[in-house]
Parts: sequence; structure tokens; C-alpha cells
Amino acid sequence: MKISRRDFLRLASFSTLGAVACNFFDEREFVSQSPVQLPEDLVTGRDNWYATLSRQYPETEGIVVRVMEGRAKKVQGNPVYPTNLGGHSVRSEAGLQALYHPDRITGPLLRQGPRGTGRYAPISWDQALDHLRGHLQAQTDRSRVLTVTGPLRGSMAHLVGSFTDGFGARHMAFQPMEDGAYGQVMQDVLGQQAMPTFDFKNASHVLSFGADFLGTWQAPVHFSKGYGEFRQGLGRRHRGTLVQVDSRFSLTAANADTWVPVNPGMEGMLALSIAQVIISEGLVPQDRINQLTGGQGASALEAYAPNIIAQQLGVPPLHGAEPHEVIREMARDFARGGSRSIAIGGCSASAHTNGAFNLAAIFALNFLVDSVGAEGGVVLNPPAPVPELAGTIPAASTGDWSRTIADISNGRTGVVMFRGVNPVNDLPGDVGLRQTLNRDDIFIASFSSFMDETAEMADLILPERAPMEDWGDDVPSPGPGFEVIGMQQPVVNPLPGMNPMGFADVLLQLSREMGLDGAAPLNMPTYHHLLQDQARKIQALERGSVQDADFNSFWNSLLQQGGWWDSNATADSSPAMPNLAEIASRARNPVITGPVGGNTFNLIPFQTVSLADGSGANLPWLQSSSDPLTTVAWTTWVEISTLVADAIGLREGDFVRVEGANGRSFVAQIYHHPAVPPNIIGIPVGQGHTASLRYSKGRGENPLHLLGLPLEEQTQSLAWAGTRVKIVPTGNNSPIPKFEGIVPAFVPNQEEAIVKITRG
Amino acid sequence: MIPKYITPRMLIIPIALGGILTTVVVILVAVFLLRAWFSTPIQVFGFPGPPEQPIAFPHTAHVDIEGINCAFCHRNVTKGDAATILPVEGCLLCHATVQGENAPPEVAKVVEHYNNNQPIDWKRVHRLPDHVQFSHEPHVRFLTEVQGLELEAACATCHGDVREMVEVEQVRSLKMGDCVDCHRDNEILTDNPDITDCTTCHY
Repeated sequence: MKISRRDFLRLASFSTLGAVACNFFDEREFVSQSPVQLPEDLVTGRDNWYATLSRQYPETEGIVVRVMEGRAKKVQGNPVYPTNLGGHSVRSEAGLQALYHPDRITGPLLRQGPRGTGRYAPISWDQALDHLRGHLQAQTDRSRVLTVTGPLRGSMAHLVGSFTDGFGARHMAFQPMEDGAYGQVMQDVLGQQAMPTFDFKNASHVLSFGADFLGTWQAPVHFSKGYGEFRQGLGRRHRGTLVQVDSRFSLTAANADTWVPVNPGMEGMLALSIAQVIISEGLVPQDRINQLTGGQGASALEAYAPNIIAQQLGVPPLHGAEPHEVIREMARDFARGGSRSIAIGGCSASAHTNGAFNLAAIFALNFLVDSVGAEGGVVLNPPAPVPELAGTIPAASTGDWSRTIADISNGRTGVVMFRGVNPVNDLPGDVGLRQTLNRDDIFIASFSSFMDETAEMADLILPERAPMEDWGDDVPSPGPGFEVIGMQQPVVNPLPGMNPMGFADVLLQLSREMGLDGAAPLNMPTYHHLLQDQARKIQALERGSVQDADFNSFWNSLLQQGGWWDSNATADSSPAMPNLAEIASRARNPVITGPVGGNTFNLIPFQTVSLADGSGANLPWLQSSSDPLTTVAWTTWVEISTLVADAIGLREGDFVRVEGANGRSFVAQIYHHPAVPPNIIGIPVGQGHTASLRYSKGRGENPLHLLGLPLEEQTQSLAWAGTRVKIVPTGNNSPIPKFEGIVPAFVPNQEEAIVKITRG
Repeated sequence: MIPKYITPRMLIIPIALGGILTTVVVILVAVFLLRAWFSTPIQVFGFPGPPEQPIAFPHTAHVDIEGINCAFCHRNVTKGDAATILPVEGCLLCHATVQGENAPPEVAKVVEHYNNNQPIDWKRVHRLPDHVQFSHEPHVRFLTEVQGLELEAACATCHGDVREMVEVEQVRSLKMGDCVDCHRDNEILTDNPDITDCTTCHY
């Protein structure tokens, strides 16, 4: 059919008008439908997305929350927040379940029966605060008041510090499996309080000692973002290489190009051996070697030459190379990357009696290749630009806790306030906190939203708002290498019938009632006002991602974006060179305590990606998210070498009694793992709760209770990887709850690469 | 300067296509603006009166005579953005037994909808353009808690005395000026300096 130009124009005009007309008379807009059946709680509505912070262990993530009809529905990473850049952890996702958990405490409770029996009566907030204030003011010696929180940063650190100082109380921060050695060594080596980050994105070689930075160490979402670029970033000329030195096959080891198992606690000596190779082979400039060895050169570390020390380290033969050659190759690969090589250490490398030495030796390698402060290296973080936000309160060491608990036992503490922590469950059993708190001459207040093990010991429970219902801010640690202040805003109101109160608002109200409100920040009417006061100081900087002369507009933009940051504001300090000879003089072998003889193994407790430290064990999403390597969920398992298990006749699912260094024991199931060295067993932490929470009570066991109290020599932090345990079969077996591998996908034989590495 | 090798005849098609494109764009923009404006009635022209509903539902019989509260049928009005209309099964709470004194055929229609699993498409009486965000919950809360009105009186603030309407019709313009007047008048009572901010409704 022939169409003339005139026909074409006519048809085009009609079809355009037709399309417009049909759109104009869209019937749906003019209809309001009564469906035939509709559940009461299902209503049509619009969603709003609010930016806020997710306060999940171990890192605070910037998130956006989808809210419909006043209910939070979905959590996603905030794409512009500089640390997690749109990524988020499963723990942030499960924050919704903490918000709407059926076991949440609805309002203040006062103990009625004997301590620990869980008998409470509801009271009003006025009555509750009267009680607390009465007990605080009854202490003639104000230092008898102890406030216990998690590690704090930003405005909350400022507020709690001001409150405890103003009142004259003591304050301690608690963190399960605290890594005090890491914090101390970073301050010693880098000379600054802010924790460093690592420029994985631009690095070419990463040598990690124990640090499970893709799993649960420090800031796994932040690091995973950089790691993605490290492996397959656009425009990269070479895929970065990752070598993981680890006595356990962690998630990061599973992702590495090469996994090098070593004897537990020998990571520092391996680092010195690598340094010895770099120095003796002249792989870096001589003047740098002279600076780092005080002019001694290769002789400073000659005792750590690979051929002398390889056997002691437990490095296995790899790819046909002898152990000492393996170390030499590791050193050459590390040096080849130059200032784009990063050496990091953490987790089990620092959790030994010689942990601080291990970390000092590992991080000194970065100075050897000049990667500190370099692109693709160790990135220093600047302090927060507002002094009131720059303070941090790090976790106290386990040694400090032992001394504090002795103080409580001796009657030198009258009031203890616990906020956001559960030390009764998370401190090693040998510290004896539960027994110490079980006395009548002490008043215990808990700000927990759930009846956890610590709340069960409390006289007064003042349920705190969930993070999605409360205000806050944060200075991320580690930051992304420049100044960042994250903002947390309430995205929903508490459900009807819930009556929680923000911890900061409780402190401000107590300050007012006790006459402590003479100066900022305690003179602020609410925490919201305090945060706005800090925001005015950020506004006055007149730089960064949010700038506006009008405060209301500035504040709204701050909340909308989820915080403020200035990518040009980087750290300007250059740390002094460490002395390798001095570090080598502090070298110690780790002290491993526990039973000896047959069927004894070095216990490496570890955190899983979902449960991590166990603070979210009462959330079913986290319980049912399986461990990525074993796919086990909902329980505690014992990872043991498949070959060793076969040799002693243990099948998968066998129940064994694990006997600890302190005479305590528990029963758990065996999991056959081809990538476990023969002298090691791994047991995840996070389970073993006794408190009456429906999804965590009675599930699994807590391996921290088997440890005794091994402490790191320099920092007194918990040496949780320095314990030997014994395994005793019970004769019982049951299928282990796991998602994969019901039919063995891997039949180990002596020629498999992983078996060659782990058979010893 | 047009090169000599391009004749006027060669320019006809590009000029025509450009003309069509411009016309289409102008029409679309005009339609968008007019639609936003005229799809809600303009007060100076008077309101269009009650639309013909699929079922002749008398608010008088339900609200005035039977004394049913607004929130009984508009169940979400105190809780969320949309007031919502009762599902058909909700009507059957009463009309499974109550046949209606004055209009049994209309009640029969409701039962028929239920039996046939057929939703009722009511003609919308009040609507706002898509670029306006409106939530019933904070408005009802303000009118009842701050101004102390009964729920029916709170609803009547915008919707008129529905209790007396056999067929519901629009009585207030509900245009932007109407909203802003009310927000400005009540600014001092809400303790919220942002209620006259653009982003209060346009977000």
C-alpha cells in the first residue's frame, strides 16, 4: 500500500491525539475500589525511603529504609554513604526483626522476685526514672556508680563521657572478643587514635594475617566494596592477588589466591621472616632498610631467615615448594607490589598471648614497602572536624574487666547501668560476672530492649528505643580515608503499646533532675536538640557534601543524604618509621593452655557472617542465614579435619564433648571439613544463650566459656585463640542442620591440593 | 546561509517532521498541565455534583440514622495515608442479615458482588493530583487531638457534612491555595515550622 506524505502526516496526527486522549481519560484515577476481601493490615499506600544508620556489629552502616504507612519494610545500603557505598550486611537487614520482635520489652519493668528469676512488674517512666535517680543520688561516693556501654563514638561518646564525668561515675565500654591489641598497636605504629583503612581498590597485592576482612573483621561491608574493585574493578590492568595467612580456613582464606596455614600465634614471626627475605635480597631501597633496622640491615633479623624458622612456623609445602621457599616467594610477591602492597593482621593473629607483637611485626611490613599513606596502601583517617564528635570510648580489655569485677565483689560498686551490651553472656565464664552481680547490695539498671542474660540480672529495666526509632550520629571507624559524620534519624514511631525511651534522652532528663545541666551537652532538652547543635557546627565549616546558609535546609539535606562528608579532608600526619630490630626483640612464642594428650586440638573460636558476636542471635533471619562455608545454621558445630575425624572414627553429626582449659565442657556436633589443619578445631561463637528469648534460648553453645582467661601480655585483651581443648565422643549422632553437602561433594584423597596443605 | 545544492523542496520533510514534533511536545505539555488542573474541580465553575455510583449508597442512612462512625468503614483514616473503603465482605457484616428498608435492590447488589467475588468500583469523589502527597493520619490527629474535634467533625472540615448527604459530593476546592491557607492558619498550633514548606506536600 502506498502512503502519501499527506496520509502519513494525517495518520501521525490522529495517533498522537488518540494516545493523548486515551491517557487523559484514564479511568483508574477516578475509581476507588472496594475489594471483596482485604485483611485489616493490608492497605494501599506509598513508600518513603529514609536514610539513617544501622548500628550492627562490627560496623555502623549507612542505610535507607523503606517505610510504608508508618511501618519499616526493607533495609538497603545507602548508595552515597562513603564507607559501605550501597552495600549492607545481613545483620542490618535483620534490624527490622529487632524492631518488630515479639519479645521486645514494651515499657519499664521493676524486679519483684529474687534476682535472676525474671519476675518483673511494669511501672511508668516517671516511676522508673525516680527509682534510678534515687539510687544514683544515694551513693555518697559517686565513683561507686559504673556505667557500661558498647564502644562509643560521636555525640553519644561526648554525652556519656560528660554525664559520667559530671556525676563522678565510672564508665567502661564492653565488646565481645574485644581486639584491644589491634587498637593499641595501631596507635603505637601509626601514632594516631583514628583507625586506618586499606585502599583495596587501588592495591595490587594483599597479605592478610588472620584478618577475616571479608567476613566479620572491622568493617567487612566497607572492605568488601574495595575488594570487589581489587579483583575486577573497571580499568584495572591486573587482578589483585590476595594471600591469607590463617590457622583456620576463614571466609577470606576461601577467597584468597593462596591460603597459608601456620601454627597458631606464629603470624608475627612469619612477618619478620618475610621482612628478613625482603631485606636480605635487597628488594626495597637500602636507605629505607637502614631506617627500619636502625642501620643494622639484614643482621637485625637473621634469626628469622626462612630456612631457620620455617618448620617452627608450621608453613606447609605449597605447589611443590619447600616451606622456606614458600616464605621467600611470599616475600618477593609482597615486595613486587611496592607501595600498592598491604599487610594487615587481626582476628586470631592478635588473639594470642603475643598478639601485640604479631600485629606490630605484620604492620611494619607496610613501612618496608612504603605503602603507609600511599595510594593502594594503608590509608590514615583524619579525626572528626568537630571536637565534640572526635572523642571515642574504646572497649576495655578483659584484664580491666577482671579487675572491675573484683571491685564489684569487694563491695566497691553500688549501681551498675548496662546499655546495649550483654557481658553476662559474652564475657568468658571464668570472669564470673553472673555470680558477682548476684548479690543484694548492688542496684542494676539495664537499658536493654530484650530480656537477655544481663537484663535478667537487673533490678530495673528501661527499654531503649530501637535504632530505627531513635536519633544519633556516628564517626565511622575505620572511616573511608576522609572526614565523615553519619546521621541517624528515626524512620518510624514505636508501635502502639510500645513505650521505649532513648538512652541519651534518659541521661539528659537525669542530668536536669540532678542539677548537672550547667553546660553543654547536658543542658540540652533532648538528644535531637543536641544533634542539631552539633549540626550547626558542621554547617559552620562551610565545606563538604552538604552546605546551606539556612539551617533548616542544611539539617534536612543532612538527614536526606544520611550524613556529611568531605572527600578532600584527608589525614595529613606521616607516622614515624618503626624499628624492626626493636619489634624482633619483643618476639615471643604464644602460650597455649589447656589439656594435653590424645584428641587435643588448638581451639579457634570464630564469628560467622550472620550471627557475628551473637548480639542478634534472637533474630530468626540471622539464625537461619547459614554460614557461607559450611552452610550450617541454627546450631553450634565443631569444624575438624576430615582426615583426622576419619582416623579417630568421628562421623559428621556425631556429638562430642569439648573439654576446655578450665574444666568446663559442652556437647556439640562434628562437621567434617577438608580445609582444617590437623591440629586445629574451629567452633563458631554467637550461640549458647540461656535467656528466655524464643529464637535463641537453648541453641548451641558458647566456646568463649571454655577458654579460661588467657590474656595478651601487653594489652591484657582476651587471647581467645590461645586455648587447647579435648574432644571426647559421646556415641550419639544426628544429622547436622545444613543446606548443602548432604551428599558429599568432596571425597578427600591424598592428592587433593587442600588435603596436601592440611594433612600436616 | 543555505547551500545552493539544497533546494526548498528538499527542506519540506525536515520542516514538516520538526513541526509535528513540536506540536506533539506542546500538546503533551498542555495536556499534562490541564489534566493536573482540571481533573480536580475549580470552585469558580462550581463543583460537578455527586457522581452516579454503581450502588446508591446513602451516607444519611448509615451515618445519621444508624450512627456508624466514619472510621468504621474508612478504617485506615486514623492510621495511614489513605482513608480506604471497607471491603465488600465488611458490608456483609451487617447486610448478610439486614436487607435495607428503603432500597432492598441496592443491598442485593452488594450481596451479589460478594457472591460473585466482584469488587465494587466506586466513583472517586475527592482526588488530588499525583504531585501532591496527602496523608489522612496527621490531619485527623491534629484536628482531633490539638483542636479537640470529634472524628466526624474532623472529617467534615474538608469533606463537608457527609452525614447529611444522600450522595457524597465535593464541597471544598482542595486546591493548593485551600491547603496552604489552612496550614498557614494552624502553623502556630502544630509546633512545626515546616508545615508551609513546599516539601510538606510535594516530595
